[in-house]
Amino acid sequence: MQTHLKKPKSWVLWGLLFPGTLIYAFCVILPLLISFRYSFFDWTGGIFMKFVGVRNYLDLIQDSDFWFSFKNNIFIVIWCLIGQIGIALFISVFLSSRFLKFKKIHQAIVFVPAVLSAVVVGFVWMMIYSNDYGLLNWLLRTLHLTSIIQPWLDDPRLVMYTVTLPLVWQYIGYYVVIFLAALSSIPKDIDEVAELDGALGAKKFFRITLPLIWDSVKVAVILCIAGNMKVFDHIFVMTFGGPGKSSTVMSLYAYKNTFTMLKLGYGSTIAIGIFILSMGLILISRKMMGGSRYE
Amino acid sequence: MRKNVWRLGFLVLCFTMLIFQAVNAAESVNLSMMHILTEADKSQGNVIAYRAMMEKFKADYPNVKITEEAIDQDTYGPKIKTLAAGNELPDVFLIKGSWVSSFVSNKLIEPINVDLDRDPAYKKGFLPGAFDDFRIGNNIYGAPFQLLITSLVFYNQDIFEKCGIQSFPATWDEFKSAIPKLKKNGYIPIALGNKGNWVAESCILSTLGDRFTGTDWFAKIRDKKGAKFTEPNFVKALKEMQDLAKAGAFNTDLNSLDNGQQRTLYYNGKAAMFFEGSWAVSSVSTDAPKAIAANTRLAVIPAVKGGKGAAMTASAGTAWAWNVSANLKGEKRKAAIALIKAITGPEYSKICLENNFTPPYTVKNVDKSKLLPLFSQYSNLVTKVKLVPIYDIQLAPSVIEVMNTGLQDLLINATTPMELAKKIQKEYEKTN
Repeated sequence: MQTHLKKPKSWVLWGLLFPGTLIYAFCVILPLLISFRYSFFDWTGGIFMKFVGVRNYLDLIQDSDFWFSFKNNIFIVIWCLIGQIGIALFISVFLSSRFLKFKKIHQAIVFVPAVLSAVVVGFVWMMIYSNDYGLLNWLLRTLHLTSIIQPWLDDPRLVMYTVTLPLVWQYIGYYVVIFLAALSSIPKDIDEVAELDGALGAKKFFRITLPLIWDSVKVAVILCIAGNMKVFDHIFVMTFGGPGKSSTVMSLYAYKNTFTMLKLGYGSTIAIGIFILSMGLILISRKMMGGSRYE
Repeated sequence: MRKNVWRLGFLVLCFTMLIFQAVNAAESVNLSMMHILTEADKSQGNVIAYRAMMEKFKADYPNVKITEEAIDQDTYGPKIKTLAAGNELPDVFLIKGSWVSSFVSNKLIEPINVDLDRDPAYKKGFLPGAFDDFRIGNNIYGAPFQLLITSLVFYNQDIFEKCGIQSFPATWDEFKSAIPKLKKNGYIPIALGNKGNWVAESCILSTLGDRFTGTDWFAKIRDKKGAKFTEPNFVKALKEMQDLAKAGAFNTDLNSLDNGQQRTLYYNGKAAMFFEGSWAVSSVSTDAPKAIAANTRLAVIPAVKGGKGAAMTASAGTAWAWNVSANLKGEKRKAAIALIKAITGPEYSKICLENNFTPPYTVKNVDKSKLLPLFSQYSNLVTKVKLVPIYDIQLAPSVIEVMNTGLQDLLINATTPMELAKKIQKEYEKTN
């Protein structure tokens, strides 16, 4: 494509990039580097720091609690990929259909949870799950399903499902917005030609729509993985990682080590561990999606 | 010419202002302060006393300017530890017993022995053992402001009688046989809200454990003199807790309620008792329906036959204490120490006692007319009870975290007593 705009001089570009880069470096990269340094120390907070080399990392590799919380993160990532992105795709295709009335209202309702703070969402769902006063148990009682009434956050076999559900619910709207934008960029004529040729329903979705928005789906998958590897707030509110350690995720484990157990060095090691694992997972997912048949 | 006069006048004015400010700065002392005595607790005796003493201190020392920050207890821990890590502690702050060794090894606080010895009358007022949670060797690291018993049984006498239990069980076996009776009548025997994961340990195990192991065992654990968590007596105490849970003594959602919500179950008349510390005395008196509050009686965990520990002990301590940052020197430190003395000394303690709160301090001529009935009961009980250490105040934070998290698992049958004991022992051996 021929551009008519004159390319700005390089110093202008650098100058414009500089403030943003500076803030980003100060708030993200610098703390990461400092954490990296702390992760080699035995540090309980204060002036006394003992260099222990890679011992923290060796401990981390053998720390079954850390790997258990990693497993919980993976659990959340998988369910959110299915739940958030799957449901969001479904809803956004539905919302972009010509036959739907009151589109704006539907969009707003789907998006509302995404603007709430995760802490608020945690509190709301705590009330829903409450054993004595909870909405869920009330509903089950009204439907005479008394046999499955239970405290929903107290069973270690169930708790990961019950803490993941609010997360899925909250962020569907976020991905709906991304997908709606992608869908609206599909040229109308392609749509119409497809329909004329008899591609309808599922066929149209898989052969026409999905390939055309595949790039947005890839971005959404990466956002979903990155977001759920650092999930913290609403689990902190709802269960604090309990009962026992059954709903502990990596960031909560880092928090507990740092602030409850006063192991600041080891807490930093866990943070670096989270960083490495998240990057690894994102790279793997990119590899997997990159070679897809849609490209 | 006239211009010059104006200029001269202006210069003189500036100069005098400068001098004035310099003199002022030399005299005034700025102190920053951080604590957990928040507005939400303003009806509690210690907060009433603290506020009154602060007003008095400000009047007595007009040159001391104090900036206060009150944060609730759960947030306070992470915040003060973050400040400590950055060496930016406030001048005067509260420290928890279990943080002392780490704060000392990081040279964040200094002993206050010198300051205490300078004022023997003040020091003598503290109850024996008041400094135990803040002592390393002979060094004392803080002036405590409260005396807590963390393990009290609040029970509803009316419910007990309805279920055919005439008086509170005298032995642990009787206590266990009372559980099915309460359950049969549709009550939750013990309301437990262990979401914050310290309640089961601080309010039950600290005392129940002592019944089985005896206090000597704990002293050996604390001082690293060869005792182990895997010893049969401690494991037995863990097993008793699990047996209670297996017998259905607790509400089923024990790990998703907090300690406030465990009281709600009791206030609603659904639960026959709950275990909590002396801080709940005033809450029960003010928050519970009148009928429930009037029927509430206090007890300690009953005696265990064959256990190594004495009967009638309860885990107790001063838990939190005031100290000053090690960075303070000279005039500033003097002012800070004077402040601490004001908010822990005899006058403070007198107001506490008159407002249903127990300071770790002896005072005479207390006006008892305003006391709540339940607080009078509590004061009576305190005189009969021997005090033993609270686990989470005297053990390292990492050991406590493992113990607390494990107790959540233990109470829902997700681990065995021996497994948990081994896990605690493993973490314990890591701390030095």
